[in-house]
Amino acid sequence: MRNLFNFILRNSHWLVAILLIAFSFYLVFAHNSYQRSVYLTSANRVTGWFYTTTNDITSFFLLKKNNADLLERNAELEERFHTLRVFLDSLANTDSVVVEAFAPDSVGIQHFDFIPAGVVNMSFSGVNNFITLDKGATHGIKRDMGVISQQGVVGVVASVSPNFSVVIPIINPKFRLSARLRNSENNGSVSWDGNNIRRAQLQDLPKHEVFHEGDTVLTSFSRIFPKNTIIGFVSDTGKSVDDNFNTFDIQLATDFYTLQDVLVINDRFYDEQQTLEDTLRQ
Amino acid sequence: MKISYLYEIILFVLLILLQVLLLNRLSLFGIATPVLYLYFLLKLPMGRNLFYVIISGFLLGLIIDVFLNTPGMNAATTTIVAACRKPLLNLFFEKEEYDEFVPGIYTATGPFVRFTILTVLLHLTLLFFIESFTLFNLPATLLRIAGSSVISILLIFAFDSFIFKRKRGEQV
Repeated sequence: MRNLFNFILRNSHWLVAILLIAFSFYLVFAHNSYQRSVYLTSANRVTGWFYTTTNDITSFFLLKKNNADLLERNAELEERFHTLRVFLDSLANTDSVVVEAFAPDSVGIQHFDFIPAGVVNMSFSGVNNFITLDKGATHGIKRDMGVISQQGVVGVVASVSPNFSVVIPIINPKFRLSARLRNSENNGSVSWDGNNIRRAQLQDLPKHEVFHEGDTVLTSFSRIFPKNTIIGFVSDTGKSVDDNFNTFDIQLATDFYTLQDVLVINDRFYDEQQTLEDTLRQ
Repeated sequence: MKISYLYEIILFVLLILLQVLLLNRLSLFGIATPVLYLYFLLKLPMGRNLFYVIISGFLLGLIIDVFLNTPGMNAATTTIVAACRKPLLNLFFEKEEYDEFVPGIYTATGPFVRFTILTVLLHLTLLFFIESFTLFNLPATLLRIAGSSVISILLIFAFDSFIFKRKRGEQV
């Protein structure tokens, strides 16, 4: 018994150390949002796995019904496709497809039109990533045009040959783009830190800005992209590098792993705006 | 004895101010941030009461945390380092050396250099792994540990030789 007391007495400083370390880790998890989110995701992974497994099992029993639903839906779409095809053929066919989604108002002349292009080559393993498109100067593509996919922003045309063009995507450290959150007016900027091609970083957003995971990140003033084009979604609540501004990860809307088709944005008033702004600079 | 405690308190405050006001704003090449406050734990007399070492280590980390808005991270690492200080000292120094002996670059160059390198490595490894928490970006974390360790160790040696050159007349 005396030996035990002696042992405890001799090593009581370790006890104090362990208590203090435990307290520190409590602080880490209780206060640091980044650490807390990691902690919570790990916990959620278990529940997520549980849900996926149960879903896999139950869905097996619903296959027959799902199949019937799909066939029905397929027939419906087929019919719709046919109607639209007929309608499309009746219209005057132009080379470049006009996307009306971004039409700002009913001012007659379209501000932007869109040139569809296919991805022929892409690198995303390194840091200096680029994308090669199968359309070039002969199709009306010029330098500094914006490129978007069905989901969101892809990048900016960096150089053009007669039949090809090279795009610098978001996932290149040279790329910077001003951005804002959907529910606010403050501008930040999006850039890429070279780590993960599904994520970019939104920087320089004032600290008082309130945001949540999943908030949409849109383009703000840009010479290249229409206002309010989707860039991505806030994926963590971030930590600040310095005192007044927040930096945090955003999940990019465009999936570069599966990118096939893109639209190149042709701003019809680009030259006009450029000339006007240049007169002011002189 | 009393002078020694006073000296330690001044050092404590000075190191925190240096770290918070100056060093933490540096980021060399985006990977290396010098850490000097650990110098306090290195420079305590060898035979100092272990409770004193551990609690002062904890307070040091906690105050740094409060300033840098990283609750618990530095406190956890400095407490661990403080607790491991005695075993580390035993690795490099002779046990016979007297209790009030303060290791330093002039007084015991070889052991002090080794002791410092190991302590700083331990501290920064713990710190950066707690900070990034998952090993997801392992190469980047390792790079930061290496970069910060090198710059911190050099800074600690420079700081030590600077302070003791001025005090040489009295202390050595």
